Amino acid sequence: MGKIVLVLSFLNLFLFADELAITERSFTNTCISCHKQQQIPSSLIYKRYLLKYSTNVRMEEAMFNYLKDPKKEYSIMPEPFFLKFPMKEKVEVDDQTLRKSIRTYLDTYNMKKKLILE
Amino acid sequence: MLHSEKRSLFRFLIIYLGSTFILFSVASWLFYISSKHHLLDQQRESLKYEAEHIKSQLRILHQSNAQKLVYPQHKYIKSAIYDLDKVYIFGTFQEDQSLDINKYDNNLYYITKIEPYYLGAAYLLVSRAIVSAPIEKLQKSIFLFMLGAGLFFTILGYFLGKLFVAPMRDAMEQLNHFIQDTTHELNTPISTILTNIEMIETFSEHEEKSRELKRIEIASKTLSRIYDDLTYINLNHKYHRNIVSLNMGILVEERMVYFSAMAEAKSLQVSVDTDPNVILQIDRNDAIRLVDNLISNAIKYNRSKGILHVVLTEKQFSVKDTGIGIRSKDLQTILQRFKRANKSEGGFGIGLDIVNQVVNSYGFVLEVRSKESKGTEVRVKWEK
Repeated sequence: MGKIVLVLSFLNLFLFADELAITERSFTNTCISCHKQQQIPSSLIYKRYLLKYSTNVRMEEAMFNYLKDPKKEYSIMPEPFFLKFPMKEKVEVDDQTLRKSIRTYLDTYNMKKKLILE
Repeated sequence: MLHSEKRSLFRFLIIYLGSTFILFSVASWLFYISSKHHLLDQQRESLKYEAEHIKSQLRILHQSNAQKLVYPQHKYIKSAIYDLDKVYIFGTFQEDQSLDINKYDNNLYYITKIEPYYLGAAYLLVSRAIVSAPIEKLQKSIFLFMLGAGLFFTILGYFLGKLFVAPMRDAMEQLNHFIQDTTHELNTPISTILTNIEMIETFSEHEEKSRELKRIEIASKTLSRIYDDLTYINLNHKYHRNIVSLNMGILVEERMVYFSAMAEAKSLQVSVDTDPNVILQIDRNDAIRLVDNLISNAIKYNRSKGILHVVLTEKQFSVKDTGIGIRSKDLQTILQRFKRANKSEGGFGIGLDIVNQVVNSYGFVLEVRSKESKGTEVRVKWEK
C-alpha cells in the first residue's frame, strides 16, 4: 500500500513539474525570446503595467486583452514607442496557455515579493 | 457668627460656587475639546508630511532594479501599502493591518491615495501613537486654572456673602443688644420683688398667702425665669460651666415646687414620677434651664385643668401636656431661636432653643412628639 502511495506521489510530482516546465518553455519561447531580440526589457513593461493596474488580476486582464488583439489603445506603451517599434502580431496560442504564460510573467517580475524590511 | 447667619452664608456659597463651577466646567470642557482637536490636528499634519515622504520613497523603489527592495521605515511612524482592491501588500505594522481604521484608537491614522500605483500600491496607510505630553500639559493647565478660579471665587463669594448677610447680622445684633440691656435693667427690680415677697411670707401672720400675693409671686417668678433664660443665651459662650454629679430627681422635685404656684393658677392636674437615683454629670444651671423651660412650656401652653405629666428615669426625662400642641409642619423649625409655633401665649421663643443648646452640649437626644389640639410630649434621652 505504502509503495503504491509513494509511486503515485512521484508520478504526480513529475506530471506537475512537467506542466510547469511546459508553461515556462511556452512563456520563454512566446514572450521572452522576442523581447530580448527587440531589446525591450520585460521588467520595464511589468513596471508600466503595475503603475497603471496595481493588482495582478487587473494586469492579467489588460495583458490578455492586448495580446489577443494588439492595438495602440490596449497597449501599455506610449504612442511614440510605436514610431520605433512595430505593433506586435496577435499571439497564436490558446487562451488557457496565454493566461498561464501571463501569470508566469507576472510572477517572474513580481516587485511585491522583493520588498523587505531592514 | 450666628447659626442662621452661617446657614444663609453657606446656602449662598453653595448656589454661587455651584453655578460658577458648572459654568467654568462647561467652558473649560469646551476649551479642552477645542484645544485637544487643535493639538491632534497638528500631529495629523506631521503625519501627512511623513506620508508624502514615504510616497516619494516608494516612487524611487519602483524605479529600482535591485533584487531586494527595502521598504521605507520611519521612527515612530508605521505604514502599509494596499493595492487597488484594498488588499494589503506590505508594511511595518506588526500584523497585516486592515485599511478599515475606524475600529482603532489611541493612534492617529491617515490614509492617502497613491497615483500612479508605485509598486502596485493604490493606498498608503500611515499611523503614529498620539503624543500625549501636550494633551497632559493642557489638562494640567486647565486643572490649575479651575483650582485657581475655584479659590478666587470661594474667597470672593465668602466676602460677597458676608456683605449680603450683613443687614441680617445687624438686625440680630441689635436684638441681642436690646435683650442684653433689658436683662441688665430687669435684674435689680425682679430681685427686689422676689426678696420682698419672701419677707412678706416670712413675717406674715396669715398661714395662707393671699391670692394677690400669689399672683405677684407667679408673675415675678415668670419674669425671673425669662431673665435667667435671656442671661443664659447672652452669656452662653462666655459662661464657665461647673460640671458636677447632679441628682436630677432632687432637682426636678425642686423645680416642680418652684412652678407649683403657676400650675395651681391654671388648675393643672400634675403628676411627677421621678427616679431618685438619676445622677448626671452636668452643670447645675444648664440642668435648671433644661428642666425649667420644658416644664414652663408645658404649663404655659396647657389648657386650663389639663394634665401635666413629668417623668424622670435613668434613660430619659419627659414632660407631657394636654395643651394646644404643635402643627406637624412647625415641628421641624420649633427648635430655632425666636420661633414660636403659637403666639397665643407671651414669650420670646427662646425656650426650646435653650433646651436644644443644652441637649447638644451634653450629647443628649431631644424628641418632640405633638398632635395639634391634643398635646405635646418632649423627651430628653440621656444617651444616644
